[in-house]
Amino acid sequence: MTGGRKQAAYLTVPHQSIEAPVIVDEVSALNVNQLGLQIDDKMILQDVSFKLPTRGVTSVIGPSGAGKSSLLRCLNGLLTTWSGEIVVGECDVRRWRGGWDQLRRHIGLIAQKPAVFRTTIRGNVTFGIQGWRRRRRAGELVENSLRQAALWDEVKDRLDAPAATLSIGQQQRLCIARAVAIKPRILLLDEPTASLDPRSKQLIEQSMKNLAQETSLLCVTHDLEQAQRLEGHTIFMCDGRVIERGKSSQLFIDPQCIETREFLRWSVCDCD
Amino acid sequence: MSCGALIHRDRISKSVVLLLALPALILPAAALGYILWQAAPVLNWHFIFSSEEGVGFGVTEGVFAQLIGSLLLALMACAIATPFAVASALYYRLFATTRQQQLLSAMFNMLQGIPPVVFGLCGLIVLVNLFEWGVSLASGALVMAVVVLPLLMLNTLAALERIPQEYTEAGMALGLASGAIIWRLWMPRSWVNVLTGLLLAMARALSETAPIMFTATVFSGVVWPDSIFSPVTTLQTHIFYLAQEANDPQVINIAWGSAAVLILLVAIFGLLARLLQKWGRH
Repeated sequence: MTGGRKQAAYLTVPHQSIEAPVIVDEVSALNVNQLGLQIDDKMILQDVSFKLPTRGVTSVIGPSGAGKSSLLRCLNGLLTTWSGEIVVGECDVRRWRGGWDQLRRHIGLIAQKPAVFRTTIRGNVTFGIQGWRRRRRAGELVENSLRQAALWDEVKDRLDAPAATLSIGQQQRLCIARAVAIKPRILLLDEPTASLDPRSKQLIEQSMKNLAQETSLLCVTHDLEQAQRLEGHTIFMCDGRVIERGKSSQLFIDPQCIETREFLRWSVCDCD
Repeated sequence: MSCGALIHRDRISKSVVLLLALPALILPAAALGYILWQAAPVLNWHFIFSSEEGVGFGVTEGVFAQLIGSLLLALMACAIATPFAVASALYYRLFATTRQQQLLSAMFNMLQGIPPVVFGLCGLIVLVNLFEWGVSLASGALVMAVVVLPLLMLNTLAALERIPQEYTEAGMALGLASGAIIWRLWMPRSWVNVLTGLLLAMARALSETAPIMFTATVFSGVVWPDSIFSPVTTLQTHIFYLAQEANDPQVINIAWGSAAVLILLVAIFGLLARLLQKWGRH
């Protein structure tokens, strides 16, 4: 059997049955090598390489236009014209023939603006679960996902209320619960707390910390304090390149590259 | 420039725009009023809901057969065109490359610009003569389907484009396949707008005369089709025939009556479309 076919068999297992994904490379859930992206003669990403651990938070910081959101969209397959290599677990996504929709079930994405579907809170959480029978019997999963998203206590008495009745902060946590319900190995978050009130921000960070115990999170943020609070690792991007990466505790205190130092200095000035 | 001069200039602009817009508002309203005024003597339940086959060649009896013929043609045309229009719009949104999108867009805009009489002529040559379907409901409905297809496709596309991109991407990010995106994400959000487009296409099909003149209708009289390969009578061609009998005031009155019924029918579909749109917003 060829390597490609072996990978295909590995990923075609119905996802609900994968309780503990078998990842051969225990060190990284995601391996990105020399990722490049060009749109209309403009280089959006150049030579981006990094690894994500199997659990924990990795923050991506950098100025606007650095390619952070584009990076997430490449990883989730919303942009597919990239060059280089993306390896999820042991699967090189270029060789994966199961379709992006199947692959996306392993790499969840939370956008900056919450997009709840026109259904109930329960319906939203179970939306990504395949098969209506599984969706109907997903009571425990709904509770677990909402707990992980730090939303259960607020909605447990009105699970059948329309999701649109929730506040924006709650809707964002509902989106996290919805993504968590399909048990992805990697969760990508694109500025999940932008323009939210401090309380919602705190709850989402709490939810991210809960999730980081089992999942690998890659979070794009402009909030440097948040990146520090989330701990884990930080990647600094500028002009489509990874400039510096390392443990958050180290990168924020003692950045090695001059660009990172400049960025942190200006960001601190802005905050003041 | 002083404040007074600015207000004066604003008033002049407003007056010019109103002067140009007034004919566009008044003329159709006046025409509609005149038609209803002329049709008033013959408009009654008996006129709308009676028809007797073979009697009076349509000049003494009501227009029920013509009404049903028009509705049948419009319904069949939309039933034929809808699956193709919806599929084209879905292909455009889900799978087409930028180049294919440009091509499809250009094709449907061009199709919409072709005079319907040309489709009628094609229908006469291909369906009526070559396929030997004859002048029939089937030939007329197929030709009319081609006429309303671009309108339906563009309406469906507009309905799909009203769905926010982030909503679709949220579904894609969950690993939903194309089918699930269509049925579980797009349809609940866009069916009202798609149906509105369908009602507008029905109204368009009801107002077209040229494509069915050669392909579907006997010119006047009362004919109840016994199969899809039988000819029909329609309000549109009935008015055309009666207008040629302009010497007889009774016939002219019936022509006005038929025109009023056709206008009311188109207005009902337009109104339904508006109500549906309003309901969908809530």
